[in-house]
Amino acid sequence: MMEVEEGNFDEAYDVYACMQCGKCTGSCAVSLRSDLNIRELMRIAILNENGELEKHEEIWDCTSCGICTVRCPRDLKPAEVIVGMRSSLVEGGTIPITVRDALESVGTNNNPWGRPKSKRAEWLEDLDVKVKNISEGEDAEYLLYIGCTASYDPRIQSVSRAAINVLTKLGVDFGILGEEEPCCGSEPRMMGETGLFEMLVEDNLNLFDEFSISKIITLSPHAYNTFVNDYPECAKRLKEDDAEIPDIELEVKHYTQILEELIDDGRLDGEMMNEFSETVIYHDPCYLGKRNNIFEPPRKILNIIPGARCIEFDRREDRSLCCEGGGGRMWAEGTGTGERNSIIRVNDANRDEATVIAVACPFCLSTLEDARATAGYEETMRVMDIFEILDEVLK
Amino acid sequence: MDVIVCVKKVPDTAEADVSVGAGGREINKERLTFAINEWDNYAVEEAIRLKEEDEGTVTVVTVGGKDKEDILRRSLAMGADKAIRLDMEDPEDSFVLANVLYTLIKDQKFDLVLFGAQSGDFNSGVTGVMVARMLGISHAAMVNGIEVLDGRTKTSRELEGGLNEIYEIKLPALFTIQTGINEPRYVSISGIRKARKKELKVMTPADVGVTEVKPMLSLEKMYLPPPGKIAEIIGGSPEEAAAKLASLLKEKGAF
Ligand SMILES: Cc1cc2nc3c(=O)[nH]c(=O)nc-3n(C[C@H](O)[C@H](O)[C@H](O)COP(=O)(O)OP(=O)(O)OC[C@H]3O[C@@H](n4cnc5c(N)ncnc54)[C@H](O)[C@@H]3O)c2cc1C
Ligand code: SF4
Ligand code: SF4
Repeated sequence: MMEVEEGNFDEAYDVYACMQCGKCTGSCAVSLRSDLNIRELMRIAILNENGELEKHEEIWDCTSCGICTVRCPRDLKPAEVIVGMRSSLVEGGTIPITVRDALESVGTNNNPWGRPKSKRAEWLEDLDVKVKNISEGEDAEYLLYIGCTASYDPRIQSVSRAAINVLTKLGVDFGILGEEEPCCGSEPRMMGETGLFEMLVEDNLNLFDEFSISKIITLSPHAYNTFVNDYPECAKRLKEDDAEIPDIELEVKHYTQILEELIDDGRLDGEMMNEFSETVIYHDPCYLGKRNNIFEPPRKILNIIPGARCIEFDRREDRSLCCEGGGGRMWAEGTGTGERNSIIRVNDANRDEATVIAVACPFCLSTLEDARATAGYEETMRVMDIFEILDEVLK
Repeated sequence: MDVIVCVKKVPDTAEADVSVGAGGREINKERLTFAINEWDNYAVEEAIRLKEEDEGTVTVVTVGGKDKEDILRRSLAMGADKAIRLDMEDPEDSFVLANVLYTLIKDQKFDLVLFGAQSGDFNSGVTGVMVARMLGISHAAMVNGIEVLDGRTKTSRELEGGLNEIYEIKLPALFTIQTGINEPRYVSISGIRKARKKELKVMTPADVGVTEVKPMLSLEKMYLPPPGKIAEIIGGSPEEAAAKLASLLKEKGAF
């Protein structure tokens, strides 16, 4: 990713290689219900018409699901071209007000939710178990990185508490950063705030170094993705610019990968659980699936739960339907009309007679919970994070 | 049009737990975050828009220590041309502050001076108006629209009850800006970095010729209002709380 001055899209993204085949638009998660047409935006990039980007409000509709990049036959990165376009809008200062406020909040409060830093650890209050706080000098093998949404959103906070209960029960040696936990920068990066992302990478790597953190478990696939795929490249670039970046290698895992390891080591199995008499359908998050090819671990966990009848969506794994929660969409309404993907998703689950939609991402949980209420499935269906399911069934 | 904008760095207290410090004259600031006063952000944006429409310069001014410079850098990144920090403790009393700002501003070249309508910390809303009086120029408070005419402005100000008042005001003048007059642009981190090249002048009170004036107010004591005796917090689950509230309303004759 680099900052795009007017006229250098080609250098940054090799856009002249685009043959306008339209496979990107054909696979786009939102093009059916919004003006977003990624092939058209590629053409704008090719023709260098990026002085007119303000007119293309739909640039903010992209959920950064990444499927266009996965499917481009020319190995281009159309999803990154959108980030570049947003970046030039951010530099010009004319961006949707809600996006502006989210970015300003990251700058002042270290979270995009406009909530004070001093309340980041409030979700801990209802918890019975004692958690190590690495920022207070306690040692732990892993940092459990909670993330902004699971720290502040009342519905998602329950996942953070479930994570603590489950990991404690399973004897994982972990700690948190509490109020000192920073924004990982994934959403600011996707909203095009390159400079802010770089600042977060520099600050966060120094923070991890200060507390000797090298192994991280994330709740969110978005945090996982940015730590694994964006941090190393960004750190390298910053070092070349003489920024003070510590030499640390991070070993980052999404929590479903850690749970899979515990299963493989014989430390987690069905005998440790009560019956879960539900029909469970798993929704692949884009940032775990499409972007990182992690399909197996969540399924492996669900499959060992006694009593659970695991079924699959027709659109699953790398064809999973994006919930529209990523890419800054939590803070941008979007121009789209018609049925939201999350509604289509809960309707599909209902048709398949699922009683629980299992998710592994805070944004998926948030969008699908909303859709479940809107579509009227409050009595018949639950949307649960895998950590919440385990918290419920573990003896 | 040359515009001077006075800006202040204030704590964000919207949701934070505010507590009074041991001395009883200050709030505890350690866990608060600070940013440019919201009203002042609108004032800077307005100044830049006026400059973009017409020619001219925008100068931002703050009174305070080095830790206040970030709001000046941010304003420079937004599009201001010059910044001045008057290096002295921010006076507690608005009259003293107004006198300091007057002394600084009177020697600058300007057509228009903008203030925020009030500051988010003390919400007093008097500094700008006092400075106008000291400068001997026209002023309007709570301004929510400015149109530049020849040597004058058409200025709209917000009154109680949702009324607007429109004045034609001769320049030079001083306005205190109400939020909502515009939509302030986003200022990116790389924009702030690039703005490091712009001029930020640090002046001392002696450079400006600040004279000592007696404060009109002094802060005696700060305390959180004691909770009212009549207020009752209804606890329990949303269902329980709603049932309790309904029965209370019935009992007190609300239906
Ligand atoms: C609508 C309204 C309601 C009021 N309600 C009350 C009330 O309920 N109770 C009460 O006691 N009084 C009230 N007052 C009156 C008022 O409280 C005072 O007279 C007061 O003491 C002013 O001080 P201040 O320091 O907070 O600055 P303000 O006058 O609020 O300062 C506003 C502006 O001054 C500039 N400025 C401030 N500091 C700096 C700095 N360091 N450097 C550069 N520029 C700066 C900025 O542009 C800032 O936006 C009210 C006034 C109004 C107009
Ligand atoms: S899929 Fe790739 S080559 Fe085809 S139009 Fe999209 S960006 Fe261009
Ligand atoms: S990242 Fe997803 S939503 Fe964005 S343009 Fe590509 S396919 Fe469409």
